[in-house]
Amino acid sequence: MISFERQHLGFILAMLVPAFLLLALFYIWPATFNLWNSFTDLTLLSMRQGGNFVGIQNYVDLIRDSGFKTVIWNTAFWLAFVSTLIRLLLGLGLALLIHSEPVRRAGLRTIARMAILLPWATPPIVAVVVWRQFFDGQGLFNQIFLDLGIISEPVAFLGNQATVWPALLMIITWNTLPVVTLTFLAALQTLPKDLFEAAEMDGAGTWRKFVDVTLPHLAPTMVVMGLLLVIWTFNNFVYVWLATGAGPGTFTNVLATEVFMKGFISFELGYSSAVGMIMVAIMLVFGAFYFHFVASRNFKEIM
Amino acid sequence: MTVAAVDQPRERDYASIIGNVFVVALAVLAILFLALPVVWIFVGSFLQTGNPISAGSMKWTFANYRTIIENDFLIFIFNSVFICIVAVIICTALAVMVAYAFSRYRFPLKRMAFASIVLGQLFPWVILVTPLFVMFAKAGLLNSYVGMIFCYVCVSLPFSVYMLVGYLEAVPRDLDEAAAMDGCSRVQIVLQVVLPLMLPGIVATATYSFLLMWTEYLFALAFLTETTMKTMPLGLALFFGQDTVDWGAVMAASAATTLPALLLFLPLQSKLVSGVTSGSVKG
Repeated sequence: MISFERQHLGFILAMLVPAFLLLALFYIWPATFNLWNSFTDLTLLSMRQGGNFVGIQNYVDLIRDSGFKTVIWNTAFWLAFVSTLIRLLLGLGLALLIHSEPVRRAGLRTIARMAILLPWATPPIVAVVVWRQFFDGQGLFNQIFLDLGIISEPVAFLGNQATVWPALLMIITWNTLPVVTLTFLAALQTLPKDLFEAAEMDGAGTWRKFVDVTLPHLAPTMVVMGLLLVIWTFNNFVYVWLATGAGPGTFTNVLATEVFMKGFISFELGYSSAVGMIMVAIMLVFGAFYFHFVASRNFKEIM
Repeated sequence: MTVAAVDQPRERDYASIIGNVFVVALAVLAILFLALPVVWIFVGSFLQTGNPISAGSMKWTFANYRTIIENDFLIFIFNSVFICIVAVIICTALAVMVAYAFSRYRFPLKRMAFASIVLGQLFPWVILVTPLFVMFAKAGLLNSYVGMIFCYVCVSLPFSVYMLVGYLEAVPRDLDEAAAMDGCSRVQIVLQVVLPLMLPGIVATATYSFLLMWTEYLFALAFLTETTMKTMPLGLALFFGQDTVDWGAVMAASAATTLPALLLFLPLQSKLVSGVTSGSVKG
C-alpha cells in the first residue's frame, strides 16, 4: 500500500472524482431533495411553485395511518423475515442435498449445479411472468389441483388474500434461491475434513456430525447471507409490483411499492418522500451492520 | 443366532438404500422445481397459446415471435443492447479506476469513501425515482439514452467497485512496485501491468453489471414512456393487457429476454459464484 503523499494527490483524485461525482448526482442529490420534500406538502399540482413547509406533518400522518402499519408489517414480516427464513432453510437443504454422497453417485451433482443457474439467469420480470401463468386461472397449479380434486373451481392464487403471500414468496424464492444455495455449497466445500474424522472417531453419527461440525462451520455464512437477503428483499420493488401490483387492493403493499405508488401514481410527493426516508433510515441501520461486520472485515488490508 | 447376525447388516443396507433413493428422489424434485419454469418459457414461446398445458396447443409455431417483432420488439432489443453495452463500458472503466486507488493508495477519508460505496450497494433505489424524474424532466433526459445510461452506470458502479477491489487484492502489490522501479509511469503500471492480470475479474464484473442492467425494470418504467425508447423488460410488460394476456407473445418476449442472460451466465458461473461468496454480488 502506497502511503499518502502530496505528489500522489493528483493521481488519486483523477481516479476517484469522475465516479464519485456521478454517484453524488445519482444518490446524494436526489436523496437530499427527497429529505427536503418529506417536510413539505408537495403534490403534482404545486410542482411549479414548490410545496409549503409543513414540518413533520407527513411523518405524523404516516404513524397515524393504519394502512401504513400494514405496509410495515408486510415488509418486515413477509418480505424480510419469512422470505429470508424460507430461503435460508431451503438453500441450506438444497446445498446439503447436492453435496451429499448419493446424489454424487447418481451423477446428478453437475446436472443440479446447471439447473441452479437457470433461475439465477432469469430476469425477475420473466420469473414473475412465468409464475403468474402457473398461478393463473387456466394455469398449471389450477389444472393440477382441479385434477386431484383438491379444489372444485379455479383459484386466482395471486388475487386471493389467503394465497397471495405464499404465492408471492414462491416467486421470490424460486428466483433468488440459487445465490443462497451456491453460497452454502461453496462453504460446504471448505468443510474441515479432520474435524469430521475426529468426530467419527468419537463415534458421532450423521446427525451429531451435522450439528457439531457442519452447522458451526456454516454459521457465519448463514448470518451474512441472511443479512443480505433481508436487505435485498426489503429494497426490492419488482416482485411485488409485477406479481400483484400491491394487491388485491393494497393487501400486499410494501414500503417500496408504497413509495412508488404515492410518488408516481397519486403524486403525493411529500408523503411519498417521508415513506422513502423511513426506508433510508432502516437501510442505514442494516448498512452499518453490513459495513462493520462484513465489508470492512473482508477488506481489512485496504482500510 | 447366526441368521440374526447375517440379517442385521443387511437390514441396515436396505435402510440405507431406501435413504439413498429418497435423497436422490428429492434431488430430482429440486432439479425439476428449478428448471421447469425456464423450460416452460422456451416451450411456451413456440406454442400458439403460450401455455404448454392448455388444450390443443401442441402445434409448434413461430407466430408469437412474429407478433412481438410486429410490435416493435426489435427496437426494444436494440435499445437494451445499446444502453447496456455503453453503460457497462463506462461503469467498468470508472470502477477499475476507483478500485485501483482503493487497493493501492492510502488517502484521507478513505474509510468513509469505501463505506459510501458499500451503502450505495444497499441503497433503496425506489426513493430516487421521483427526484430523478424531476431532475431528468428539467434536463430533458426523460426518454433518452443518456439518462438511462447515467442511471445504469450509477446503479451498478458500487457493486463493480466492490467486486474489483476483491479481484485486485489477488494481484500482488510487489508487481506494481517492481514496475515503478523500472521507471513505468503510474498510468503505464495500471494499463500494462495490473489490467492484464485482473482481466478475468474485469470480465466477470462487466458481465455481472450487464446482467443487472439487462434485467432492470424500475428506472426504465419511470423514465422511458415513449414506446420507441423502451427496453426489453418494459417491452415484455406491454403484452400484459389490463384484462387479457397474450401469453404466446409474453412467452416469446420472455424467452428473448432470458436467452442472452443465460448464454452470458453459463461460461461465467464459477467466477460469479466466488464473487457471491465474498458477499459482493447482488442476487
